[in-house]
Amino acid sequence: MTKLLQTLMDGVSVGSLYALIALGYTMVYGILKFINFAHSDIFMLGAWVSFTLATLMGWTSDAPWIAGPAVICGSMLICGTIGFVIERLAYRPLRAAPRINVLITAIGVSLFLENVGQLEYVFGTRPQRMPSLLPDTVLASVAGVSIRLVDVLVIGIAFSLMGALEYLVFSTKLGRAMRAVSHDLKTASLMGIDVDRVISITFIIGSSLAAAAGFLTAAKYPSINQPAHSNWILFGLKAFVAAVVGGIGNVRGAMAGGLMIGLVEMFGAAFFSPNLRDVYVFTLLIVVLLIKPDGLLGRATVEKV
Amino acid sequence: MTGILEVQGVSIAFGGLKAVQDFRLSLREGGLQGLIGPNGAGKTTVFNLLTGVYRPDSGTVSLGGHNLIGLKPHQIARAGMARTFQNIRLFADLTVLDNIRIASHARTWTSTLASVLRTPGAIAAESAITEHAMELLDVLGLADRAQETARNLPYGDQRRLEIARALALDPEVLLLDEPAAGMNPQEKIALRGLIRTVRERFSLSVLLIEHDMGLVMDLCEQITVLDHGTVIADGSPESVQGNPRVIEAYLGAPSAEVSA
Repeated sequence: MTKLLQTLMDGVSVGSLYALIALGYTMVYGILKFINFAHSDIFMLGAWVSFTLATLMGWTSDAPWIAGPAVICGSMLICGTIGFVIERLAYRPLRAAPRINVLITAIGVSLFLENVGQLEYVFGTRPQRMPSLLPDTVLASVAGVSIRLVDVLVIGIAFSLMGALEYLVFSTKLGRAMRAVSHDLKTASLMGIDVDRVISITFIIGSSLAAAAGFLTAAKYPSINQPAHSNWILFGLKAFVAAVVGGIGNVRGAMAGGLMIGLVEMFGAAFFSPNLRDVYVFTLLIVVLLIKPDGLLGRATVEKV
Repeated sequence: MTGILEVQGVSIAFGGLKAVQDFRLSLREGGLQGLIGPNGAGKTTVFNLLTGVYRPDSGTVSLGGHNLIGLKPHQIARAGMARTFQNIRLFADLTVLDNIRIASHARTWTSTLASVLRTPGAIAAESAITEHAMELLDVLGLADRAQETARNLPYGDQRRLEIARALALDPEVLLLDEPAAGMNPQEKIALRGLIRTVRERFSLSVLLIEHDMGLVMDLCEQITVLDHGTVIADGSPESVQGNPRVIEAYLGAPSAEVSA
């Protein structure tokens, strides 16, 4: 019972991180119909920018309470700007080009970010330890499960951000414009929507959510791998799987998919073998694609002939 | 006399294909003008040129005296040019009401931040938009379908919703691309009345692409005929109908030449 609850907690916690990243993949896919391979690097930047900000501010030990909120906001702001610049410089000039060109450009941007990140005067090639900005306290013990503050914050912040996005997409003017652009970019522009602006905002939002995930990941697992480490890519890849499992292009699907991937991974690791945790995730992907190729919440696309 | 929409010498080529050459048109304010021609004559290309989807290689387009060349589609839409599409292009996953509200946004200037934070100004603007949208749906006879998803509407309703959405931009000029396509005779008669009604009610100038000659000849005061990308005739319905070049474009050359 204890193990069950503990695993549930871990699964939701990791799953909400996947969900935050998956949202960026799915929003960009929904609007521009391409997979932004550089997105997992924005997640990496989110963690490294958080580390750098904390170090620069001297919050390496006994950080004041303001440190956590300040660093996550700073990281989201910086990464949101980076996302904006990437779209503006790398993707927008290729708007009319075939999708494959943009896809390859995204891989290029990804390699660029990883390698610039490794430069000595940027983040360097050594792993670092994230200073604990949040007190590592156990809030309560329920049925033998220790509820750590970090996990509560990870879940709380992730869910609040997802709630905010849900509100933005489904209840505001901007969200309505985003859904229109996602459905048909050309018609949307003919209906007076400034498509370039909507796309820019999409990149800013997606990148800041990934940055939040980066901060929260660093808070949960304080040892930060070097920028080009394959763990970043693997984590991003699983978030991408989450977006596909939920139905790529579907915001609610990305949230559900993220949680599902997190739970499958953690339950598999706890009850079968921890060595196969990646296998569970990709098996789930294959099973979902076999049963429902458009993802759990995806809409079947009917080709009219 | 200059019209609300003035087009002079507009041409565009795609590779070696001269799709539209030296197109001209003058749409009088409050006018109802037809644009006809055989399939592939370049009629929809003209609409794409007018709305900024394509940028012409040469020529001028002005709306109410303002130059439109070089503007982006959303800027032209906001300047007062609205259109419908030959193949229905609604936002199929959105509700009927949201389809209209999207277009209404172009007319309002509440900032994104204000709408997210639900400031009183933004809420007031939003409810004005909704009210205006319901009014449009009412005129088009779609009010009781406001909350339905657009893809679930019957075909004729989808065509009318496209017109409603275009009207939500509060345009000066309305471009209708084959609005009667796929309609039965009763629906066509209703459409005829509808086009007249909206033109009066919203004081619009209308440019109409249509293959149904009965409809065009009955509705339009002026007709421009396009063939192979060039204007071969324009004038009143009677003069166009009697024009030998127009007859040739539609029916082919007289039999003496065919036998050669």
